[in-house]
Amino acid sequence: MAYRIQRIPSAPPSVAFAARGMAIVLALVTAGIVLAALGFNPLALGWQVLRTTFGSSYGLEDVGLLVIPLIFTGLAVAVGQKIGAQNIGAEGQFYAGAFAATGVALFVPGPTAVILPLMFVAGAIGGAIWILVPTLARAYADVNELITTLLLNFVATLMVYWVATGPWLDPSGRALATTARLPHEVPEFWGIVHWGLPVAGVVVLLVAALFAFTRWGYEVRIAGSNPQAARYAGMPFRRHLIVVMLLSGAIAGLAGMFEVAGTVHRLQGGISNNFGYLGIMVAVLARSSPIGVLPAAALMAVILNSGIVLQTQGITVSTVLAITGLILFYTAIGDELARYRIVRG
Amino acid sequence: MDIIAGIIQTSILAGGVLALAALGEVLAERVGVVNLGVEGLMALGAVTGIATVVATPNPMLGFALAMVVGFFFGMVFAATTVYLRANQVLCGLALTLMGTGMAATIGRAYSGTPAPATFPPIAIPYLSDIPLLGRALFTQNILVYLIYIILPVALHWLMFRTKHGLDMRAVGENPAAADAAGIPVQAMRFWYVSAGAALAAGAGAYLTLAFVPSWSEGVVAGRGWIAVSLVIFAGYRPINAVAAALLFGLITSLGFVGQARNWPIPSPVLSMLPYLGTIAMIIVPVLAWQRMRRLMAAPAALGEPYFRDVR
Repeated sequence: MAYRIQRIPSAPPSVAFAARGMAIVLALVTAGIVLAALGFNPLALGWQVLRTTFGSSYGLEDVGLLVIPLIFTGLAVAVGQKIGAQNIGAEGQFYAGAFAATGVALFVPGPTAVILPLMFVAGAIGGAIWILVPTLARAYADVNELITTLLLNFVATLMVYWVATGPWLDPSGRALATTARLPHEVPEFWGIVHWGLPVAGVVVLLVAALFAFTRWGYEVRIAGSNPQAARYAGMPFRRHLIVVMLLSGAIAGLAGMFEVAGTVHRLQGGISNNFGYLGIMVAVLARSSPIGVLPAAALMAVILNSGIVLQTQGITVSTVLAITGLILFYTAIGDELARYRIVRG
Repeated sequence: MDIIAGIIQTSILAGGVLALAALGEVLAERVGVVNLGVEGLMALGAVTGIATVVATPNPMLGFALAMVVGFFFGMVFAATTVYLRANQVLCGLALTLMGTGMAATIGRAYSGTPAPATFPPIAIPYLSDIPLLGRALFTQNILVYLIYIILPVALHWLMFRTKHGLDMRAVGENPAAADAAGIPVQAMRFWYVSAGAALAAGAGAYLTLAFVPSWSEGVVAGRGWIAVSLVIFAGYRPINAVAAALLFGLITSLGFVGQARNWPIPSPVLSMLPYLGTIAMIIVPVLAWQRMRRLMAAPAALGEPYFRDVR
């Protein structure tokens, strides 16, 4: 009786899901070994993270606040992947959305009930504008959107830094390198967690329904898995690509809008906290499923929060970024290995 | 005239970072592997370089150790993408996140301190005395000559003038045919991707030991991604890549000049120039030179893992 290894075109969901779990565990074990080698006690650190995160309402509220931008950026990247577009620029669209929303808040007079929805729209438009050039370049000249979206991240970071330290600098003189406190804010509903969280949930459900139940969503999914087949079937590939990429940018822009209007309340350099890059992680963990973004974002929020909890121990957000990279690395390996199965004969 | 000489001197110095990283990426992409980890490798190389010279003031050792570190991470990346055939884009992004995060964690101890030993400019006798541009062109550190003259010429010769180079390009264009012809596809990919990663890390060390020269978090500042873009613009050719890097050095140094001479443009806006320039450089040629497209095209099997059994 002979056995041989066979590769199948795509991994069964259960195996892929298990591979993700393994990847996360392996990444944490690897990080633990490295930390132990550096003289830390990984078990004590892990216990401290669990206790501070889940042991109190404050810890959960911190996670609840971090998960909002992660849902939006993760969803943004996942939406792009539906049609095979790699939007690595969620970071830049985040900044653009925050920038546009801040502009509305600072310069458009009016009651909060009117201005907040306007900021929402401005955030989405800001994000969409930020991805416009990469979108058109991909659609009409077949320029790789991965690199163009990424390069615009640096431009957006510089733009926000510039306005926050220059033209929009807080005129009161009390705050350095930031705009004035925004006159409007997203109200809170649970401790420090604001209404951005339920809105993020609703946006996820809407997008999921769009892909699952509409003709448009069906065509996009076909176009994503086989562009050639989509063209033969007469589906407007280019139009779908443009709409999907702009939607992706708009969703990332909402992340920035809620971060500035609900959490930080001022526009400043570095406001994005790598949320755009972590969004890539979220989307990959979710296997580009909009609903899957929710648990994946929650997990990333816990990991990100552990970096904040452990800051006093000399572990920084950068360390967390490195661990995130490790998870992504193992996930990529696991995704490939999950496609193999042993068959008899 | 001094200003122009100064701009040229800075352009060459600034372009060197991109040129070295881009040459490394040319090696990887010519054998069919996209390495998007350049940014992370550069960060690792940058921090290795500074850590070495702080321990012992020998910049050459710092540069060499950075390349060793890059080679090691390159082998990890190559093993997973070439032998395990994991997704190259994801692994590259993972390498960028890991490298950037690790470098920032390690580099906290060195943050802000200038490098205690750097690559000094060496004036080449006679040539550096040429009026006008002699000093700008021939009073550079030793790495500049390596990056702009020795490496690109050697790589060009290797890729386009030898049998081995033909094999190499065959692996990137059509691995199945190369395999059938007896070329060891996987080994070729593994070693060239690793070597390319070593060059990328070397570019990071160049940054902290010759160009900036100090470490701070975010010192790489997207240069890895610009290098990846330059490779596309340069049509995957070593000499073109170096020329494109020099053009970028020029854009960067114009930003410096603007800052130094108080041009009425805010410095963050000037700092955007290299990124905007890169975007323009990868979009415009596609539209403008339709006929050049085939000549400058990417290796046909770029980004695709090779499976012998599904040949």
